Amino acid sequence: MTKEVSLEVDLGPLHLKNPVMPASGTFDIRCTLLNEKELNRLGAILPKSIAFQEREGNPGPRICETDCGLLNAVGVPSKGVEYFIKEELPLLKKANNIIIVSLMGNSIEDFCNLAGYLNNIEEISALEINLSCPNLNNGIPFGVNQDKLYELIFNIRKNTSKPIIAKLSPNVSDIKEMALTAKNAGAQIITVANTLMGMAIDVDKQVFRLGNTMGGLSGPAIRPIIVRMIWEIAQSVDIPIIGVGGVYCAENAIEMLLAGASAVQIGSANFFNPYVMLEVIEGIEKYLIKKKYNSIQDISGLVKN
Amino acid sequence: MKIENINIPLMISGNLIENINLNDNYYRMRIEAPQIARKAKPGQFVMLSMWKNKDPFLKRPFSFYGIESDSGTFDILYKEIGKGTQIMAKSKVGDLVELIGPLGNGFMIPENTNNIAVVARGIGIATLMPLILESKKRGIAIYAFLSAQTGSLLLCSNEINSISEKVFYTTDDGSKGAKGIVTNFLENVLKEEVIDVVYVCGSKRLTKHIRNLQRKYNFLAFVSLEEHMACGIGACKGCVHKTKDGYKRVCKEGPVFPVEEVIFDD
Repeated sequence: MTKEVSLEVDLGPLHLKNPVMPASGTFDIRCTLLNEKELNRLGAILPKSIAFQEREGNPGPRICETDCGLLNAVGVPSKGVEYFIKEELPLLKKANNIIIVSLMGNSIEDFCNLAGYLNNIEEISALEINLSCPNLNNGIPFGVNQDKLYELIFNIRKNTSKPIIAKLSPNVSDIKEMALTAKNAGAQIITVANTLMGMAIDVDKQVFRLGNTMGGLSGPAIRPIIVRMIWEIAQSVDIPIIGVGGVYCAENAIEMLLAGASAVQIGSANFFNPYVMLEVIEGIEKYLIKKKYNSIQDISGLVKN
Repeated sequence: MKIENINIPLMISGNLIENINLNDNYYRMRIEAPQIARKAKPGQFVMLSMWKNKDPFLKRPFSFYGIESDSGTFDILYKEIGKGTQIMAKSKVGDLVELIGPLGNGFMIPENTNNIAVVARGIGIATLMPLILESKKRGIAIYAFLSAQTGSLLLCSNEINSISEKVFYTTDDGSKGAKGIVTNFLENVLKEEVIDVVYVCGSKRLTKHIRNLQRKYNFLAFVSLEEHMACGIGACKGCVHKTKDGYKRVCKEGPVFPVEEVIFDD
């Protein structure tokens, strides 16, 4: 008889039944292949970033495949917060009891308005702040400047009592500093990280392969970079980490947990296999049983120098 | 809720039962996947992969070229052009094909349609083929306008010849049919008679010509658009095309759009 293992994890104030959830922008409750029962098996549900006002997103081409990865410049299209609450939230509520809402904005005011607007909506479990959004003033993402990052999270904190998850940008020279800054500003959890800025050129037509010139690289190609970042943060900053970047199977998710993450998000792998999140949950459970561990906590951050 | 579920696509494995090199680097693949073949409609597509090692990273979209619901098979027509289609071209009968489908909105054939025109450039004819066969079955007269770089790339011409009222060809090099723009022949027909619906696939340039003719001769016209896709099910928002109502997902709101709704920048 195998011992019962628990996949439950606590991310600061957030309690999840297991550590697997979609990465923002890779899952849409209105067009998923998963049924309600399957959706309910996820650790949390996380729809695409929402903006306060409706926004169109970038012109095409928005995506291009690269070696073991995907470049995207979708540009966070959103139907706005009112549409989200009226049309999407009821569906999300039926699907899972942990709903994490990813926020996007182009100014501190945008984010604060949105956080304030959502604060009284009971069904929302936590807010994830997309720090890769460019600041309207200078076009530089909040997540690559420590002062701006601090100012943003600090001000959002004043507008919400919900747990704040800071989704860090990996396009920085020292991710540890950014994690510490987010924590000091009031974030209780961090997501490590987001897509890496990239570019692809069509050599035949001699044009950029993305309409937006540059885009964010995701997929297995970036995973070693993310694993390194998770590990670096876990060694120096005391904050729960959600790992994201190139998880394609249970083994990849376990690698992030061993590096120091407490949970993982799955992004572009959902595009290839819409059932991948369920397979990863099963795979993590099997790993714990096989290696005779009781819980995720037993393996989180296990690999040290 | 139940009604919505009917339209949820399936992710299943199919069996490769034929993989034939037609000419140059064009191939026809027949896949046995009854659950998809029985639901498939002309103009819809599948996401397909025959690889598992993350490279290629994504599935690829292919529209149905043939649908045989009785035998539970469907065909796709593809050009060996990149990593994914190279693997497909080398694959053997009996290989597994990972599929998600059927996807997207197919072609609408209005009731009381007497005749249609199909306008295709190159491999664009593959997408129109099930529509042509369905129209034939309904007793609708078909006028085909086919264009390609060169004669050997005028795919399916024998089949189309046998079921169409009239077929017009143009090639860029004049190796088969006339040189020039195939829609000029469509205009000649439109001067003489009423065409109920025009369907176009495979060329933005031809679609723009159709739009101009539509303004002049007033007919229904639909285009099947192609874009790079990551998921095919509407989740990634990657495959959008500009329309009069903003960006629309080719995989979900399309791939078939009324010609007058689509906006081409260039």
